[in-house]
Amino acid sequence: MEFPAALFPSYFCAGPPREEGGPAPLAGWGEHGQVLEGGPGPRQVQPAFVPRRGATGERWEATDAAAVPVLLPSVDYWIPSPAPQDILYRSSLCRKLRAGKSGATLDFARQLGHFFVDHPEDAFGSLGRLLHKNFYLGNAKLKRPARNSTIRMTALVEDINRLEARRGCPRQHLASRLRWFSHLCRDWLFEVPLELLADCLHEELTQQWSNLLFDDSLTGGALAWLPPEDGRTPVGCLVHPGGQAMNHLYFQDVVLEELPHARGSPAQFELSGRVRQVAAARVDGQDFVGVRSDYHCGVWRVPGKTGAAPNPLQVIRTDVPVSCLTVSPHLPGELSVCTQSGTVYLWSVETGLQQLRHDPQTMFFRDYSPWRWSDFTAHPRVLSCGDRTGLQCLDARAPKRCHFDLFKVGEEAGCQQGERVVLPMYLGRAHPSQYLVTTQFSVYVLDERLPMVPVLKWTHMMKAPPLFAHLMPGKPGRSHKVLLGASRTQELLLLQYRDSFWGVSSGGSQSACQLVGTPQKLHNIAGCLQHLPTQLPHRHHLLQQRLAAPAAGLAATLQEDGPHKSMLIFQLSEAGDVFCQRLTHKETQPPTPPSREEATTPSPAVPSPAAALRYRRWLKALSRVCTEPPRHTWPPSLSQRRLFARRDLEGPAGPSSLQRQMRQRLRQTMQEGGRIQRWEPLALQPPPLPQTLELPGGPDSLSTRLTAAWAGDWEQWWEERTSFSVAQRQRALRERRRRQKRAHGHRSLSASFTSSLTYQSELSELSDTGPSLLSPGRPLTLSQEGSPPAGSPPVRSPPTSPAPDEALLSSQSLRCRGIPKERRKTLRDYLSVWAEGPPEPPEPPGSQASQLCIPSSQSQLSSASQPRRKRPRMGF
Amino acid sequence: SPNEHKLNFKKSKEACLSYIQDALLQQQWKRAAEFLTCYVESLEKDYSREHIGPSEMIWRIGTEILWHHSQSSMKEFNCFMEQMKTLGVKRYLKVCLEHVFHLLCNGQIDEAYQNLSLAESWRFGEQTAIQDKEMKLVQAYRGLLDYCSWSKQKNILLEQGEDGFSDLAVEQEMHGYFRKAAVNLKEIIKIPGVWDVFVKCYVDLLEFYGDHNEARQVLNEYAYNSKFPANPNAHVYLCQFLKRQGESKKSLISALKILHDIVPSHELMIDFNTMLQKSKKRRKRRLGLEVIFAALDYAGWKENAKAWSCLARQVKQIVISEKHLDWVKQEWNSRKDWWPAFHFSRYLAKRNWQENKSLSYEKALVAGILLGKDCKYFKYVSHQGCKAQLKRFRMLKKFVNRHNPVCLRISG
Repeated sequence: MEFPAALFPSYFCAGPPREEGGPAPLAGWGEHGQVLEGGPGPRQVQPAFVPRRGATGERWEATDAAAVPVLLPSVDYWIPSPAPQDILYRSSLCRKLRAGKSGATLDFARQLGHFFVDHPEDAFGSLGRLLHKNFYLGNAKLKRPARNSTIRMTALVEDINRLEARRGCPRQHLASRLRWFSHLCRDWLFEVPLELLADCLHEELTQQWSNLLFDDSLTGGALAWLPPEDGRTPVGCLVHPGGQAMNHLYFQDVVLEELPHARGSPAQFELSGRVRQVAAARVDGQDFVGVRSDYHCGVWRVPGKTGAAPNPLQVIRTDVPVSCLTVSPHLPGELSVCTQSGTVYLWSVETGLQQLRHDPQTMFFRDYSPWRWSDFTAHPRVLSCGDRTGLQCLDARAPKRCHFDLFKVGEEAGCQQGERVVLPMYLGRAHPSQYLVTTQFSVYVLDERLPMVPVLKWTHMMKAPPLFAHLMPGKPGRSHKVLLGASRTQELLLLQYRDSFWGVSSGGSQSACQLVGTPQKLHNIAGCLQHLPTQLPHRHHLLQQRLAAPAAGLAATLQEDGPHKSMLIFQLSEAGDVFCQRLTHKETQPPTPPSREEATTPSPAVPSPAAALRYRRWLKALSRVCTEPPRHTWPPSLSQRRLFARRDLEGPAGPSSLQRQMRQRLRQTMQEGGRIQRWEPLALQPPPLPQTLELPGGPDSLSTRLTAAWAGDWEQWWEERTSFSVAQRQRALRERRRRQKRAHGHRSLSASFTSSLTYQSELSELSDTGPSLLSPGRPLTLSQEGSPPAGSPPVRSPPTSPAPDEALLSSQSLRCRGIPKERRKTLRDYLSVWAEGPPEPPEPPGSQASQLCIPSSQSQLSSASQPRRKRPRMGF
Repeated sequence: SPNEHKLNFKKSKEACLSYIQDALLQQQWKRAAEFLTCYVESLEKDYSREHIGPSEMIWRIGTEILWHHSQSSMKEFNCFMEQMKTLGVKRYLKVCLEHVFHLLCNGQIDEAYQNLSLAESWRFGEQTAIQDKEMKLVQAYRGLLDYCSWSKQKNILLEQGEDGFSDLAVEQEMHGYFRKAAVNLKEIIKIPGVWDVFVKCYVDLLEFYGDHNEARQVLNEYAYNSKFPANPNAHVYLCQFLKRQGESKKSLISALKILHDIVPSHELMIDFNTMLQKSKKRRKRRLGLEVIFAALDYAGWKENAKAWSCLARQVKQIVISEKHLDWVKQEWNSRKDWWPAFHFSRYLAKRNWQENKSLSYEKALVAGILLGKDCKYFKYVSHQGCKAQLKRFRMLKKFVNRHNPVCLRISG
């Protein structure tokens, strides 16, 4: 805890960075930086000097030729995230451009085209339907009467088909017919205005592209290792995400033998978002695991005993994506959360969220990145919060008043131009007041007692910015190890540093923080490809793709078994694979060894037999996953088991008398070829209070239009608007007046809501209002477009109150009533003429669903917090 | 085409660099050295505009390899460095400095001194800002080495003085070293920066020759000039100086107060606390309580038995005298929502008891007073202590039970 008696000399200037920036491939080598008089024995004649960098460190050697899989590949088929070639423009012209200077060109037009082709209904639905009759796609000539209202589009379609072949052709402008058509219809053809759609698509594309270049949502990494409590039993717990969408959280017990292997089946939690970060800290012998996805954060408690089940404690939901979640190493159940809007919260499981700061702007200078980070410091009530420009510490008890700058991208720390903070990390387990900050160029160690001046700085020379870091504190007198990991390139770098804390306090003079040993590159996942058995070419390609997936997390542990010290390093990839490697500690030779031979550390050239067996098993499991046809190619099917309770699906024991009556009437009318004007049974008494669902003042023209469009009856609506039959309109008006007179009160929305769920019992009650809402002046043509397709039941949004006809129309009710499948459509077509429900009440469509799966309070959580090992589905 | 050739040359250079990097990161020094000999060719056509050119790369890689290569010797290293110095004008001083550092780390102080003198006399056109800084560092390190020689001579003289005779020539030499060291050291510590070593040496020189005013001024400037970083050592040196000079308690306390304000977790806070405790003034005793509470807020102090005993003694005094209970109460108010979990959990009680009995005794006393006799920490430790039949712990239990009403006034 003592502050070093003397620090390495350094200049201190305030202001923006002066040194010109840029990646420097080998800038970290060959420099001592500064020297300091170290350990001057009073009797010693010569003062001894120690360098800031370059002192001898520990030697660690890899035991195997490559990283080895720890877990078998999950059963879910992995979908690779988009690659550059998916969204970049590829043409000879572009290649020439890029060879010059300009950056990447996004293939915007292709993506827009994909959207139109894949989602024509969303892109052109209404107008497509409206113009359906006026466009002719055949080859024959149009006859005279039809020609008045129909045009032939065949040539245009041929032009479009030819367009792909002419891609990149300099005489592209010759497609004048297309230009003419697009000029003509650009303003009105699209369901979503083209500018808006294009804006959204372009935004999404640039987002995807910037994610490909640098995806900071993974910062911190989604892998955590919970070491055994006493350190004696070699069983720890690996916390990692998995599943097709990486939305399952696993707590897997792992036995640390020569090759670590899983023990038992993992505790598994299904979450409602992709897991971006898993953070863990041990307080009072218990592990607290924080899990971050874009809009949710959750915290679990894992009791120290091995084999104890993890306990979900709490979940929070945010409106803005969360960019950081760290767990306090000081107090149980405390975490810090940052959102992309620049808000920092202290989250305590007991007392809830406390907002510490809200500032959408970056701290020290303007930077566009919304990324924010926060971590704990030596003082449990002081948190650091950072963005790309630097870090500040603020006191949670008075966050507005008490704060100081810890690190700033500027001349103070000797930064380069364009340097940005990538990952800050509290190094509390090694030294209570030290901090690690990585940028894309360098790593810094800071001491919060001497803010702004890094006590250590080194250019790490990694090809991609280090998004993950892991600290392995060394015992007193030994060096601490820091692992840095990059995502896209899967790089792993091992550094050693010594702080002043554990230094032997001899004569009161302690050395300052220094980097020791040489940085060491470790195996990455992709590196094991060459050691795998030869595959068929396409398999090899798939395997290569999978092994080269960006890294998503990093964890490590030190193992001491008497004189044998070893280090186990786990790496997680975006495909959900966890690989590990072991390094063993080699005692340094005496200072002057008799035979000075090359002291290189060649890792073995071929994997050990155990590793080879592990590869074979893993490959076998992987090929089983791959040969299984990927699920997303199946025709989409919707399970109804989750949508409806068993009770809902159960048909009535037998048709009620009312239904029998109805059926008889229907049959009779069909035989007669007539139609049923009103569904109300003849023998029923009029209900005491007729109710209508109309909103006060009646729906305005826009909402009727939208309602019609939603129901697919826009054409009819249009005809109604434009038809000349004044008489029809008058009749409709009269009808409406009559209805308004009858309506003494408005039915409440909540009543309609319940009625939708229990329609059968209330059939009688509703039966007379339903038909009265219809406009009798409707022309009696059967509209093809309006009827729902045979395969899919009409979509019913729960909060609406369907008219009884609609209730009858739903395929379940039809099935319940024993109507055979082939006749259901006929019936539905027939009834659809009459089945226009009342306008839907303005209820946001997702609200019901969100109520179902997101806990509104902790009550639901507490029910999920029972220690169960079997997939408790948390609302997360 | 010639263009193609250039491109290929560039590409092969890049490939070569990546191989070297790979070898270095895997500590294969021999392989790296072989690739480096190929890379030297890149000096021939150096059209690069990157801010680190091939000559700097060669210097960095070569140095790193020679540090670790099993067959390298100091002679070879020196030879390589001399060549590197001539390779780039812009980097001359930097390479010199690094060479000196390496010599120093290998105990070759005289060679290092020669190199520094050479570097100091180097002139080449107008100096850039960076070169200016590097030159100042060269001078400062030379000053440091002069200081080392001075202190060596001083020790000789002191030993001789004990024997009763003095050597005038040695004394002359010593004064010469003083002058050379003082000039250079004085220069660098004017510039904002972290100059702990240089300041210490310079102050030592001044003190030896009795220039206490200058020394005080230097230390004040180093500690309180706002252009300098907030370096805790600057304050520590000032305090040590004041102590050596036998200054009044008041000035020492004010210097320590400033250190407390910038680094409440500094290890000198225990001394500061004891000093304040002894004071007769109420305000200072109160400050002492604040200081020790603030220090114990930090994770690094969690198991500091000395600090806990300071706090325990002070709180105990207050409880016995029943005076100034409000001081404790006020300090406790801002901590009572997190100290129990941070310091006084049952888990910590168990661990402290197992690892350090006297620490758990002090902590249990504080916990008993601040949280009452029902606090988990106090209960566990006093129970264990009584079970182990330790008299201290029985007394502790008695004390807390007797004063429980007072304690409740603090926690309530």
